Amino acid sequence: MIPELGYFSLTLAMVLSVLLCIFPLWGAHTGNLRLMRAAPSLAIGQFVFVLLSFAALVYASLTDDFTVSYVAYHSSSTLPWYYKITSTWGGHEGAILLWLVMQAGWTAVVAMRSQSLPWVLRARVLGVLGFLGVGFMLYTLLMSSPFERLLPYFPVEGRDLNPLLQDPGMIIHPPLLYMGYVGLSVSFSFAIAALLTGKLDNTWAKWSRPWTMTAWGFLTLGITIGSWWAYSELGWGGWWFWDPVENASLMPWLVATALLHSLSTTEKRGVFKSWTVLLAIAAFSLSLLGTFIVRSGIIVSVHAFASDPNRGMFILAFLAIVVGGGLSLYALRVSQVKSEGRYKFASREVALWLNNIFLVVATLIVLLGTLLPMIHKELGLGSISIGEPFFNKMFAILLVPFAILMGMGPLLRWKQNKWSMLQNKFALSAVVSLVATAAWLYSSYDVIAPITFIATALAVWIVVTTVVDLAAKVTIHKTLGEGFKRLGLSYWAMVLGHVGLAFVIAGVTLTSAYSVERDVSMKPGDTVALNEYQYRFDGVKSIRGANYSGHAGVVTVLKNDKQVTVLHAEKRRYDIGMQFMTEAAVDAGFTRDLYLALGEQLSQGAWSLRIYHKPYVRWMWLGGILISLAGFLVLGDKRYRQKSTKQEASA
Amino acid sequence: MNRKLLALAPLLVFVLLCVFLYQGLFANPRELQTGRIGQAMPAFNLPDLMDESKRWTDADLKGEVYLLNVWGTWCPTCLAELGYLTELREQGVKIVGLYYEQGYDPDFDGQFDINALREDVTSMLNRAGDPYQFNILDLKRTLALDLGVSGAPETFLVDKQGTILLHHTGDINPRVWRAKFAPLMQELQ
Repeated sequence: MIPELGYFSLTLAMVLSVLLCIFPLWGAHTGNLRLMRAAPSLAIGQFVFVLLSFAALVYASLTDDFTVSYVAYHSSSTLPWYYKITSTWGGHEGAILLWLVMQAGWTAVVAMRSQSLPWVLRARVLGVLGFLGVGFMLYTLLMSSPFERLLPYFPVEGRDLNPLLQDPGMIIHPPLLYMGYVGLSVSFSFAIAALLTGKLDNTWAKWSRPWTMTAWGFLTLGITIGSWWAYSELGWGGWWFWDPVENASLMPWLVATALLHSLSTTEKRGVFKSWTVLLAIAAFSLSLLGTFIVRSGIIVSVHAFASDPNRGMFILAFLAIVVGGGLSLYALRVSQVKSEGRYKFASREVALWLNNIFLVVATLIVLLGTLLPMIHKELGLGSISIGEPFFNKMFAILLVPFAILMGMGPLLRWKQNKWSMLQNKFALSAVVSLVATAAWLYSSYDVIAPITFIATALAVWIVVTTVVDLAAKVTIHKTLGEGFKRLGLSYWAMVLGHVGLAFVIAGVTLTSAYSVERDVSMKPGDTVALNEYQYRFDGVKSIRGANYSGHAGVVTVLKNDKQVTVLHAEKRRYDIGMQFMTEAAVDAGFTRDLYLALGEQLSQGAWSLRIYHKPYVRWMWLGGILISLAGFLVLGDKRYRQKSTKQEASA
Repeated sequence: MNRKLLALAPLLVFVLLCVFLYQGLFANPRELQTGRIGQAMPAFNLPDLMDESKRWTDADLKGEVYLLNVWGTWCPTCLAELGYLTELREQGVKIVGLYYEQGYDPDFDGQFDINALREDVTSMLNRAGDPYQFNILDLKRTLALDLGVSGAPETFLVDKQGTILLHHTGDINPRVWRAKFAPLMQELQ
């Protein structure tokens, strides 16, 4: 009964979203205020019914209702309750339903927080969001309902949630990522609404910016948590694999990053208008494309079986309508737009323009690397695979000019700069960065590869120039306190974002260059040394969890004969499905991680163990968190919370 | 004019992309082009499924055209194709089995119960037909890995010189045999 109510509730939500799509858009077109005024309540109603529908699925999962096919395939009665909840997005159908909750949620929030917008724009934004809602709901209702029943013959026990997904990281990773993906649909809707209205001025950019920042913040956090999950769960210390699914999330992130920078330029200077609109369309398009790639089975790993071409067909058609429609509108309208601002070469405008170029090139590299194997095959040239070396090389090459520019950008002013005034600051920063990097690396490591030095120096350079800029901006005022007060939240967001990326660069560089691993065979009592730590193997004990059993290798870690920690590296065998999982033990630290995975049992009580020493690996995720904070910080900016529409005059 | 063309560019690129995505949707992703085709059978030295003292190497198989069929008792599709494969054997096709054990993890399970497996295999082959000259046991899946096997059943066609001519994923039925295998077999005769 409850699952049927869930389906019914989703149908009602779909009806509301059809109305949300038609009424406001028609109202805006004909100037009918009554129709436009219906939009916010329709948006909120839609959200309520989608939420009810999702609640129905959660209920079915919590009550072990294995007559529901989705629950039978993705849950089991022995699963702990919190994984029963997360199992609702552990499979395709449920994940799409979660996507819908996010989509409707964003729409409702936009409806509630957009009172300051003129009705024509507000109605169009919500109308476009309604249209997107219709597409996804239609897909769920027709192609991938999670409420299908297995009647009259249903299993007494479910197939259990994939053990890989039974991890805290997996509880929050998909919702965060979806918040980001779907959040970009708000930027998209603003862009389309602006195109429909024909007013591509800087007020549009001002309204779109906080939404884009928030969505981007979620996306950043989602990707970061995903990387952390891969590291802690897959058992061999990797954190990024350039796999199509990861690339699908990286592409919108890169474009959204370009979009933020472009939006601020459009908002403050009235330039790059058409480019910004294009980026807003592209960012969400790539989210959709990513979904298509991941969900259609068009790019398969050898273990992906049965994927339904009808589903792929639907998503492709939806993609074609949304993106094709958006780009057509862009082609029609954008040639009328003129840039207002003027600027010289040595200006912040040009720096931001170059930033955009690099980010877009990076996106194209990822897109090509992901799709080329497929296109290559279709052209009859045979199967090829493009892997890590290609991406790593391309990104390493792009990083150098990008990071140099990233350090310089904030110090540049709008319009034009006197090069002579900047020379000293840049020279000083460069010297400080090089000296600091040399001191840091030579005091810690014996062998330093040129590329390691360059990449580390670039990370330091970004931090140094940011501090130089911060110091200059703070000391202009009489007291330091006042100086800090005068800096807006978006300035702090910039500082956080840039320093965060510096942490990511340093973390990636140092952990790639100086990670050490050893495969050892140990008997209880044996000790192995790796760098400055000794690892004493204390034997293996049996473990038993709610839905798995297995072994845990107990290893005491010592440094200078003092105990640092005791690690339990597990090997689990899940009861249902008999799947094996390596649960690595990690001792996390600011400057290093000790990472331990249990291997196979060898003869006479010996076990094989893999020990990793990973320096600065945490910095990557720390950096990711800092960057996402930058996205959320803008929410507190007073300029975006004013309710009056008078801002137009002052902008 | 130039501006208008520029504004159209993203749309054109997207349309082109859609064409490829559309084609990709109907291309069979299971049609593996493993790159093994045209190459020599990888070297191996593995025991017989029924008698571990007997060992098979790639050299033993040279000089004859044969099918290498990857299968397991755990795999329902393999059971389904046993009947037709047995017919093929009766027509004189040489079929060698590569037994692929799925449930066993060498890292975890310790001693493998080979006798239980042999009983399973014997009873299944007695029931459904036995197409195999003999079976190679690839417990650690090294040969399967070298061959680029992605699941079971999969079948390789190998010529007298030990060159792999065909890699088929999925079951062999009369239709597949006529379309893919028979023309090549005729050439080889």
